[in-house]
Amino acid sequence: MSYFAEKQPLVADIFSRYPDSPQGRRSALMPLLREVQDAEGFVSESRMAEIAALCGTTATEVRSVISFYSTYHTLPTGKYHLQVCSTLMCALAGSDELWDHLVETLDVQPGEVSADGRFSVQKVECLGSCGTAPMMQINDDGYYENVGPSKCARILQSLRQDLQPLPDNPVPVTVGADGRQVLATGQAIGSSVTGLHRLPEQAGGEA
Amino acid sequence: MKVHVDGIEVELPAGTSAIDAVFSAGGDVPYFCAHKYLSPLGACRMCLVESGSPRKNPDGSFVMEGEGDAATPKIFWFPKPMASCTMQATEGMHIRTAKTSEVVAKAQAGMMEFTLLNHPLDCPTCDKGGACELQDRAFEYGYGASRFGFDRRHAEKHYPLSDFVILDQERCIHCKRCVRYFEEVPGQEVLDFIERGGHTFIDTEEGGLPTGFSGNITDICPVGALLDNVARFRGRNWEYDHTPTTCTLCPVGCSITVDARNGRLERIVAGENRDVNEAWICDAGRFGHPFASEERLTTPLVRNEDGALIPATWDEAITAINRGLLGLPLADLGLFVGADATLEEGAALAALADALNARHVDHFPRHSVFIAPTATLTDVATADAVVVLGADLGEEAPVLELRILEMLRGGLLPAEFAHGTAIADLRLVERPARRPERLAVIGGESRLWGHAGHRVSANGENALTRLAHPDTDDLKAVRALLDGAERPVLILGADALRGASGSAAALLADLASRTGAKVIAIPAGPNSNGLAALNLVPRTGGLGVDRLGEVPAAFISRLDPGMRAGGFTVVHDTHLTATAQLADVVLPAVTNYEKRGTVQNLEGRLLPLNPAAIQSGEAADLIRTLTALAEALGVKAPARGQRGAQTLLMGSVGVNTATVQVGGALHTFARTFVAPAAPHTPKLWTERMRSRDRDWVERIHDLVEGGWTLPVAPAAPQPGGDD
Repeated sequence: MSYFAEKQPLVADIFSRYPDSPQGRRSALMPLLREVQDAEGFVSESRMAEIAALCGTTATEVRSVISFYSTYHTLPTGKYHLQVCSTLMCALAGSDELWDHLVETLDVQPGEVSADGRFSVQKVECLGSCGTAPMMQINDDGYYENVGPSKCARILQSLRQDLQPLPDNPVPVTVGADGRQVLATGQAIGSSVTGLHRLPEQAGGEA
Repeated sequence: MKVHVDGIEVELPAGTSAIDAVFSAGGDVPYFCAHKYLSPLGACRMCLVESGSPRKNPDGSFVMEGEGDAATPKIFWFPKPMASCTMQATEGMHIRTAKTSEVVAKAQAGMMEFTLLNHPLDCPTCDKGGACELQDRAFEYGYGASRFGFDRRHAEKHYPLSDFVILDQERCIHCKRCVRYFEEVPGQEVLDFIERGGHTFIDTEEGGLPTGFSGNITDICPVGALLDNVARFRGRNWEYDHTPTTCTLCPVGCSITVDARNGRLERIVAGENRDVNEAWICDAGRFGHPFASEERLTTPLVRNEDGALIPATWDEAITAINRGLLGLPLADLGLFVGADATLEEGAALAALADALNARHVDHFPRHSVFIAPTATLTDVATADAVVVLGADLGEEAPVLELRILEMLRGGLLPAEFAHGTAIADLRLVERPARRPERLAVIGGESRLWGHAGHRVSANGENALTRLAHPDTDDLKAVRALLDGAERPVLILGADALRGASGSAAALLADLASRTGAKVIAIPAGPNSNGLAALNLVPRTGGLGVDRLGEVPAAFISRLDPGMRAGGFTVVHDTHLTATAQLADVVLPAVTNYEKRGTVQNLEGRLLPLNPAAIQSGEAADLIRTLTALAEALGVKAPARGQRGAQTLLMGSVGVNTATVQVGGALHTFARTFVAPAAPHTPKLWTERMRSRDRDWVERIHDLVEGGWTLPVAPAAPQPGGDD
């Protein structure tokens, strides 16, 4: 069962962002992976092979790239993927206790999905929200901060009813399809504000 | 370009890497990731040196240091040590190695300590021990102690990447040589780093390594992480008798080193020959050696009255041959030899045939046409167009395939220095751009098919005619490629040469002269090119080996046609083959690993064979066996040994094979002999080349269950010794 067979316009759009050369095709690896992971929650071996064929590379190469990034998953994830920051600041503020509590009450270990298919957990490195430790990120939706015992219980309670509470803060910086970094407010930041130039031979393009 | 290394000035060509500058000056730098035939990467950071260059003022004069006449250009040193394998040496550059620089010595010792952090201390049980780059360099450049007091990384220690290659993930130091090898040389991206940082390991997602050239990664692994599974746990490196020789499984003639221990052939590793195989050999050549030490014939066998072959002495065998051939006209004795016989053996056989006036003389396999090679393997690698006609290179000449793939990468041959091939040639890059449009494959599908820009599915036998008179657009494109190229090479394989005649040769010569193409016709057998210069084809009224059944009596050396001659049959072979089982007398032969002699490869290069220390009982090469045959026939043997055969060869074809150097020398014989030949399909791997270990397990089980004691140590002292 092919994921991209029905999505030729999307595939063509992704490939159009890169030079039309063997090397350029390989560059499309990351957005293709992101596409599969966003849709399915993880990248299975058959998807790796499919993406490899699209990029003109091998499944080994694809797995190598996936395994380099901790944010790609090769095992299924739950509807709510809880990413608990476990770096020093959060650890001092009780992220270990938060982690133990999550693992115990949800009965999942990293790499597993809870029986109802809702939850999976992952320890992540610093998410840059040390002032509000301990904190966790749910999917790519945003940060849940100062997660103490009662707040944790409230969040889990709502998630069990599929009523995901609004995050305290959205993920600070995202990169749009046009390659620009934007804050949650929509304000463009970083060097992409001035550092992206329109390529001369692609006049009319969005740069 | 002048470069100063530790105060020694050396003159070097522009573009030389700093690491080669150091070695050119007679210095030494440790390195793990650089490899002569791979792109320099700078992964291991062991080849650190301090370096600095003069700098120019805006007016073009050098920034000087010192006063008056004593002033010299001021050297601006890099603030930190640099990896010399990825740094280009420049005019006037100064380089300081660990020999003169405390900073470098400390940096290298520090890197060594990092590399050893997670390396297990299992050298005593590691096959690489004694020939390990890491071991040697740790001894030479390390602190000799580690300050790391914690647990080392633990990972899979016996991870089979394929039947032939075992990976020990703990030992891997992440030099990336194997990853780069697969990507750059055979063009198969089957290995890569998985995970990152301290968790990094090597793995494949393709369900194993592709056969063909996978064994080379066991040679280039600088540690004991990738090991040859056929030779695993068979001996320590210092116990092996190393014999540099030439592989004769196919007509390429790769340089190999045969490692034998206690009279058993245990391992084959690639040798370096820049003109032939660079540093690579195929899997058959590396792993297909178990036959040399398994189930060998060690004494002659004579068929007794009950019809059974029983062991005998050479004298008894000679008597049996004498009796068996009694009354047979000498000229009726057929003399047949396999095409992997050496030139010396061929000369001895041809001379004996002359002495006997024998008509039924032949060697097998051979083509019915001889096309002298005009291209060398280096020509193939540096060509700008290669057309392969009717060849399955994987079966016929695997390393030729690697040289063609080298052509697709631009044919960049690493430079050569006094210290050998450049350790880091900066022109070689990771993920080189390939030029598939320069390769055309006409014929059946093969492994090379996937790399070719022009693919024409055709019946190999008429491929040449169709290329000379292109009838389709595809063929016209190939022809245009040939016509437009400056250094084109035509390669003809077995399919194109099968049933070819003189007219095909004329057509080829015409095509070659029109297009300026050089030609390699892959010979049918490993030494077919050499043996063609000797009169080893059926003579007037004679029969070839394909009509063995009609020959009144025959002597068959290292050939397995699976049938016997019409009458008395003598078989000279290394194993009890199907043919040998039908013979009246079987004489034990030596393999080509145990021979001294000379073979000629597909490009016409004479290459030397040297005998490895392999136990083979009373087995004899063809020259000495022919003296026994001559004795049985009551004639004087034309040659009694290697010297005599060399003299014969000198007399008949004017080549002195006693002076052939290690790397070989190109030679064209003035005259060649051809005759119609039976069709032959080349096959690289034979059943016997696979390891029979599983048989042994069963056999040992049988022995134990049967109450036998295991053959642990032979009672008699063994030749080769246990040094």
